[in-house]
Amino acid sequence: MRSLTNFAPSTFEDRGAAVAFTTPVLAQTRVRKDSREQLEVLVPNLSEGRGVYVVPWKALPLAFPMTVHDRMLHDLIAKADGCSPDDIRKAVLQSARCGLAGNHAVEAAEAALRDDDEQRLLINYQLIVEALKAVGLESTEILRAGLASVEGQRLTRDLMSKAAHSLALEPTELYSRIAELAVYVESIGVLTSPKPARLRRLMRDLQGFRESMTDWATDNVSEAAPIGGFCAEVAEHTINHARTVMKQLDQSVASFETLIRQWDTKRLLVRKAATRLSWLLDGWEYLIALWADSVTKSRHEQDLAVHDIFRVIPLLPKDETRLDQAMAAEKLLQANRRSVRAYVDWRSGQLDVDLVMRIETLKGKAA
Amino acid sequence: MDIQDLIALGDKLLYIDEPKFRQIVELLEQMGDHPDIRRTIAIIRPRMVELRIHRRPTLKRLFCDPFEDLFETFGKTEPMPLSVIERALMNSLWPLVETTIGKERLKSYRGALHDGPQRRGLAEAFWAECAAIVADIANTAAGDAGRRDGAMDLRLTPDRMRAMGDIATILTIAPEVRDLKAALSPKPVSRLHQDHLEGIQEAGRRVARSRPEALKIFVLLAASRMADPSALLGGLWEMDLGLKPVDRATLFMDLSGTVMAQIEDRSRSLKASPERVPDRMAVADLAVGLMASLDATRDAMEQSRNKSFDQRLKQVRGSVHEMVRSQVLQDADTGIVAALGGLDGGADERTQLAQAESQARALRKCSTVADQLGLRGELREMTQKTTATLTAKARQALGGGNAGVGGGARSGYTAIRMIELLAGSAEANKVMDEILNGGRR
Repeated sequence: MRSLTNFAPSTFEDRGAAVAFTTPVLAQTRVRKDSREQLEVLVPNLSEGRGVYVVPWKALPLAFPMTVHDRMLHDLIAKADGCSPDDIRKAVLQSARCGLAGNHAVEAAEAALRDDDEQRLLINYQLIVEALKAVGLESTEILRAGLASVEGQRLTRDLMSKAAHSLALEPTELYSRIAELAVYVESIGVLTSPKPARLRRLMRDLQGFRESMTDWATDNVSEAAPIGGFCAEVAEHTINHARTVMKQLDQSVASFETLIRQWDTKRLLVRKAATRLSWLLDGWEYLIALWADSVTKSRHEQDLAVHDIFRVIPLLPKDETRLDQAMAAEKLLQANRRSVRAYVDWRSGQLDVDLVMRIETLKGKAA
Repeated sequence: MDIQDLIALGDKLLYIDEPKFRQIVELLEQMGDHPDIRRTIAIIRPRMVELRIHRRPTLKRLFCDPFEDLFETFGKTEPMPLSVIERALMNSLWPLVETTIGKERLKSYRGALHDGPQRRGLAEAFWAECAAIVADIANTAAGDAGRRDGAMDLRLTPDRMRAMGDIATILTIAPEVRDLKAALSPKPVSRLHQDHLEGIQEAGRRVARSRPEALKIFVLLAASRMADPSALLGGLWEMDLGLKPVDRATLFMDLSGTVMAQIEDRSRSLKASPERVPDRMAVADLAVGLMASLDATRDAMEQSRNKSFDQRLKQVRGSVHEMVRSQVLQDADTGIVAALGGLDGGADERTQLAQAESQARALRKCSTVADQLGLRGELREMTQKTTATLTAKARQALGGGNAGVGGGARSGYTAIRMIELLAGSAEANKVMDEILNGGRR
């Protein structure tokens, strides 16, 4: 076991990606690859103690009694190629769709997948418009003819050929660059999009979380108030970093001609920024939903929610910020000890079903 | 905002955002003690309790402070006090107390509302004067029992006559009640610790010395601050309140009777009827709560070697047995399995699945009290029967390489989820392993 400070990760990959388990003790624990490229999971504050347990992925079901949904998710992640936030999200949505986490999770996962499809279509169209705009061509005729119509597709092909010619590219090459770019920015979308994509929405929600948590912690005499204040600060730093990355991305897409002309160098920058953004915001959906659910509840429940958020809050890795958030969290832990809160029924060792169902509901809201 | 506009909002106030809600409560308080305001406050009180809104201190609130724990409760989570005082009675009583004390004297008590060295003494003097006035009102009203009292605008039922007497008695021991409330904070107390017991004992001894007749209501007040009022009985037998053994036994019997009557009332609250479809989870919650109360009461009786409640305890256990058998166990399998048939994405599917999940959870919850209720065999049989049917359904839907994400697979996974809710994660994982991997993992 390592202490929170000793553990303080240097990079996002060291920190791992949050997994939406429904087993209470494992909820939002992080998975990453060890030095031998084997998956391992980081379980923080076990039994409210200090530090982080590092458990090999394969041994997880042996170490913890897990819900059947989590066993399936565990299998899916083990079989997946990687463990980036996007890989984990794919596995989480796939396991939720089965119905093992309840009907609400099925509906939420299907809505999220529908939204992904819509965004994919939208971003492809928007990038084609950007390409045409970059060489001074109008896209209104395509819209007038209808995107999916034969006429619309013919117009698109003609205009894109002209655009490729202006950019001194083969039309297939232009198509392939746009398709690759669409994959990179699919979850972010473009600034002018009428329907903000997932990570843009998440940033807006994180801003709301920060404000709500700051309001709650101010003038609050509860023991959880300094912890709530810390959570708000972490959210603020995350937003600031994410805003900078988002700005870089938006600028790159805005200078579309340069992006396409200097594709070999610029594509790496865009890909890096998009990946960084997904890592920066990873794990916040669940915490935002948890807090939103608590604000209408009693003070005591709000205090417990703040402790739960603190347990798995995505601290920024050392390489990302000058502030040592892990050290600040450790100090806060020392100053605010709290009685043990069990996640299992102490008489039978069974999972607390009410808590599992609460996590399932929140998971549905966060999907 | 005009008062009429505010009042017209009614229960909509329960759903507005928190800062606005706090502002409105503040506005309502500034508008004074008006019947319409009281009605609106009554509607929004559950949310005020939830948000723990700090109310403006008033003499009316100070008057209520010693007996406020006996006011009727809201919602299912809070237990009803062992002796209830209606808010309506207090609202009718206060104007009479106010008039009798008189404006000038009331003004002199205002210091009791603010911090300072005068606060304690003034509050105690205020309560003593109120106690005498309420006792007078109760004595005068005794002649009109059963009739409508013109001054209070209330029918003087036996329950209200008893409550008025209780208010007068509690006000005479208000300083001890204040100490009791400090010892049993925050409310509700779920387990009695040594410091709680010492706090009750110390204040209780003072009551026993000065007003022994108030001891019963004092203990009822202590019980009303507990998450389960019956939990106090066990501690009470060991407590030395300075009473003679005979008096102690009488007080204990008296309180046990009150606790028992409340348990009996609760056991009748969810009686099955042809018009009412039982909410199986609510029944299971009630059964588990009742069994905890019965256990605490039985332990207290054993400590006191008192057998007079044995028959009543047995009867309540019998009615909980019947309640669990007829409203949780009976036909549980049919409802759970039927939900798998209608997985077509409609609104009915959602309701049916939610009901089936609730049934499965209720069965599992009842397993914690099945032994005590003598239902272990029946419950095990029902769980096994349902699990076997669900396993067969899951095997049919997922076996032979059908474990994708289609309509059929969905009902298979839902069957496994039901097994999890019913029999636990270990059993569900075993079934899933058997079906998907032939038992290997």
